[in-house]
Amino acid sequence: MTINVIDKDGVVHAAIQGEMTIYNAMEQKNKLAEYLKPVLELHLDLSEVSEIDSAGLQLLLWLKQEATQLNLIQHSQAVVEVFELLNLASHFGDPIVLSSHWKTS
Amino acid sequence: MSEFDAALAIFTQETEELLAQMEYGLLSLEDNPEDMESINTVFRAMHTIKGTSGLFGFDHVVAFTHEAETVLDTVRKGERPIDETLISILLNCKDHTANLIQHSLLGENEPLPETLKAVGTDLIAQLTGIPASSATIATVNTSTDQVTLTSCNQGSDDNWLILLKFRKNALRNGIDPLSFISYLKNKGDIVEIQTLAPELPSGHLMDPEACYLHFNIIFHSDLDKQAIADVFEFADDDCDIRIIAPHSKVEHYLSLLQEQTNDDETHIEKLGEMLINIGALTQNEVISALQQQNNHANQTNAMPKPLGEILIEQQFAEQPVIIQALKKQQSARERNIAEANYIRVDSAKLGHIINLVGELVISGAAMRLLVDRYGLNDVEEVAVGMNDLVSDIRDTALKLRMVAIGETFSRFRRTVRDVSGELNKQIELVISGGETELDKTVVEKINDPLTHLIRNALDHGIERPEQRLALGKPAQGTVHLNAYHDSGHIVIQIADDGAGLNADKILAKALANGFVTADQQLTRQEIFNLIFEAGLSTKEQASNLSGRGVGMDVVRRNIEILRGSVSLDSIEGRGTTVTIQLPLTLAIIDGFMVETENERYIIPLSMIEECVEMNPAEWEIDNIQHYISLRGEVLPYLRLGDYFNNRSRHTGRDQRESLVVVRFGQAKVGLVVDQLHGEHQTVIKPLGKVFEQLQGISGATVLGNGDVALILDVQALIQHAIKKRGAHVHATTH
Amino acid sequence: MINLAIEGKHSNTAQVAGDQFQQYLTFLVGKDNFGINILDVKEIIEINNITRIPKTPDYIRGVINLRGNVVPVIDLSARLDRQRSEITKLSCIVLVEVDVHGEGQVIGALVDQVNEILDIAEANIQPAPDFGTDMRTDFIQAMGRVDDNFIILLAINRILSIDELSQLQRVATNQANLALSDDTSNFKKLDNSDEH
Repeated sequence: MTINVIDKDGVVHAAIQGEMTIYNAMEQKNKLAEYLKPVLELHLDLSEVSEIDSAGLQLLLWLKQEATQLNLIQHSQAVVEVFELLNLASHFGDPIVLSSHWKTS
Repeated sequence: MSEFDAALAIFTQETEELLAQMEYGLLSLEDNPEDMESINTVFRAMHTIKGTSGLFGFDHVVAFTHEAETVLDTVRKGERPIDETLISILLNCKDHTANLIQHSLLGENEPLPETLKAVGTDLIAQLTGIPASSATIATVNTSTDQVTLTSCNQGSDDNWLILLKFRKNALRNGIDPLSFISYLKNKGDIVEIQTLAPELPSGHLMDPEACYLHFNIIFHSDLDKQAIADVFEFADDDCDIRIIAPHSKVEHYLSLLQEQTNDDETHIEKLGEMLINIGALTQNEVISALQQQNNHANQTNAMPKPLGEILIEQQFAEQPVIIQALKKQQSARERNIAEANYIRVDSAKLGHIINLVGELVISGAAMRLLVDRYGLNDVEEVAVGMNDLVSDIRDTALKLRMVAIGETFSRFRRTVRDVSGELNKQIELVISGGETELDKTVVEKINDPLTHLIRNALDHGIERPEQRLALGKPAQGTVHLNAYHDSGHIVIQIADDGAGLNADKILAKALANGFVTADQQLTRQEIFNLIFEAGLSTKEQASNLSGRGVGMDVVRRNIEILRGSVSLDSIEGRGTTVTIQLPLTLAIIDGFMVETENERYIIPLSMIEECVEMNPAEWEIDNIQHYISLRGEVLPYLRLGDYFNNRSRHTGRDQRESLVVVRFGQAKVGLVVDQLHGEHQTVIKPLGKVFEQLQGISGATVLGNGDVALILDVQALIQHAIKKRGAHVHATTH
Repeated sequence: MINLAIEGKHSNTAQVAGDQFQQYLTFLVGKDNFGINILDVKEIIEINNITRIPKTPDYIRGVINLRGNVVPVIDLSARLDRQRSEITKLSCIVLVEVDVHGEGQVIGALVDQVNEILDIAEANIQPAPDFGTDMRTDFIQAMGRVDDNFIILLAINRILSIDELSQLQRVATNQANLALSDDTSNFKKLDNSDEH
């Protein structure tokens, strides 16, 4: 897992790669926590999230709660599936762009 | 007998009882269509038959009773009025169900014969008003649960609410809430889902490896509560789960609660058990609620909270359901107070006890004999005490097998109903004395003769309404069944207010057939009793004699085999009464032992009026006409020794004889014997088929010394003595 | 109670021939030796008190108490139209179970002496002759040859047929009533009618 972070005018753009699961939730939380307070906006690029479980989801919920403004962009198929299952798209309020490359599940 | 066979035997017996209840209920409804209790009885019986048939895999029975039950349910809910037509159909359904069960017992799921199938299809069509093709017959499963579920409707309100609160450690314990929800999705339709994390801490307090997730799910599925709970089975330890039933389910539970019949009557179901049984609660919910109950009590040291309260607080179940369940529990408790003393016992076991008691009585007699013979004074007292105990035990054991005749009587309500329908007659059956008790073995054997006599009364006794009206009688005829106890016997009467019998015609017929001679003078009673002679009433005679007599000899024989008697009285135009007298039991009686010509005989004590020493000096004894004038009363007598030894004349003895005055009904006769031996507890042993035709002897018993003594058939002896005297009187008047 | 050891004595010659055997219990009635198939015999007991049953034909000897059950005893000699047996020390009751409409009923047959159990080869069992005996032919099941003698093998189920015994008994009862009315012959018919 890596998080690429670009900090620009108080807007942090972070891209998460790999899985968001219980196994790396602690690490991700600690890393993302650093960017929460000082910044106004957090843009989270989820396009490279290969797998997300309850811990990962919970982390997103926490970020939503903590961040001044959280924008989720580029949801990967794994993320969209979970959002759909749990009816969370409206909670996060971000437009979701579906990709035609995704496998139909 | 294998366990399965044993279960099957119980099934057979239970369904028989249920079918009888159903019939009884339906007939009561006919008189009183508003009677909810009867409707419920019928419904419950049908429901239980369906359920138990399902257990045995009797699919034909399940399929049919399911249809009938559905209709009954609408009646029960007041959606469909019950009327005579429906009752008739339901009565036929009951018969059909009985046939189906019979068929199933023969060969489980053999295909139904066409005739049965046709009857079933026809009945379903009548029941539902829909042609049977569209009524589902084949789709019913053998499991009761599935049947009831498919019958419950699936409207839009029919959604479950599932509340999941995962605990902190869930994730660390390897529980991924998402996977459960995905799995749930496969089991039905997630209509709506809310994902919540109300306790999600902020900042560094948030532990990403702890779980803060809650879900509220609206779920649509055919599954029952337990099956839904099973989805979350592995999360049980890490999640608080509430499954709240849809509104329709609440009603469903309520009706289930109402129907639920407790087979084991002495057992009061616990609230939790009851709710699990109907599917309103899962096992875990009950365990958890019980734990809370415990904790609460421990913490506060107060009285534990009622379980029902906790269940409602915790939203484990719905308030109305719990209230209903509590009510049900209460009524079961009340019923238990009334019924707790009844135990269902295999009648074979009772039979065995009674046989053993019989042997005990004989052994007791043997002991007494020895005590007397050796003059063991110190043992005497013990022996007397034991003797008393033995006779108490005997009485109690016999009472165990006593049943009220009411149930037998009630069965005829159906006969009367059906026959009056067939014959276009209006007939009411009045039953009284139903509480009169007699031995179950006697009850079983009296059914056939009773059926015959009642059919006779219906067929030939009661006239058609127009005839009755013309005669100034009410259009509706009455058949009265009555029972009461009289001197160790039960008396059963079948009385009708029909056409009655013409004594002259019977006599003419009897003369023509050579049963009596012209010079014979018969009382009216005797003439009527000629009816019971074999072959008196032939078919062409039937109309003349109101048909009575067809098979009446068979009736008499069956009753005589039970050591009983039957007589008939009638007033032409007013009606006929048949009176049956039967011994209360076929097992053990109080007897009185007499001896004549060195042979011992037992006379049933209940038939003895008095015993006196013969006193030829003071009494007027007419040896030719065979009567004694005892205290001014003319008493026919019979010298037992002469009778049994086929002697016509008394040979004269030095020894003083004794007179035992016996009574049966109105008739009294003196039996002359050599010696009186006193009371004797008598275990009746059948003499067997060889002696079926024997006159004057009704059975045998084993005495204390191992010898066999014969039991006198007092009725027959009385009849013989009276006729004999009658013959002599008659002869002298000529 | 005598418990006869039921052990057959095979004759050697027969065994060599490999024939099928039937075992027969033989006993004396009067001076004659009869046999019945051992399979029909339940038990053989010595005589205790027999209780006489009034108004029954001669061949009904009475009833006995067999372990608490009342069992009728038939005088075999009288049943075969001979004199009633005198009871001696050697008299025995052979208990037989007969079939009454599907139910078994035990009946005792009074015999004068029980002899032995014989193995008779099936080849030596021959059908009953139509004539030459003084007995009802349907009472004879077959004739068994033992050495140079024949013994009559009885059709015990026929002899102790309950249907027939109870029927005959009714006749006897009626006859008894006729006898009763003999000295009052005017009323013969009346007394007779009692019994219908």
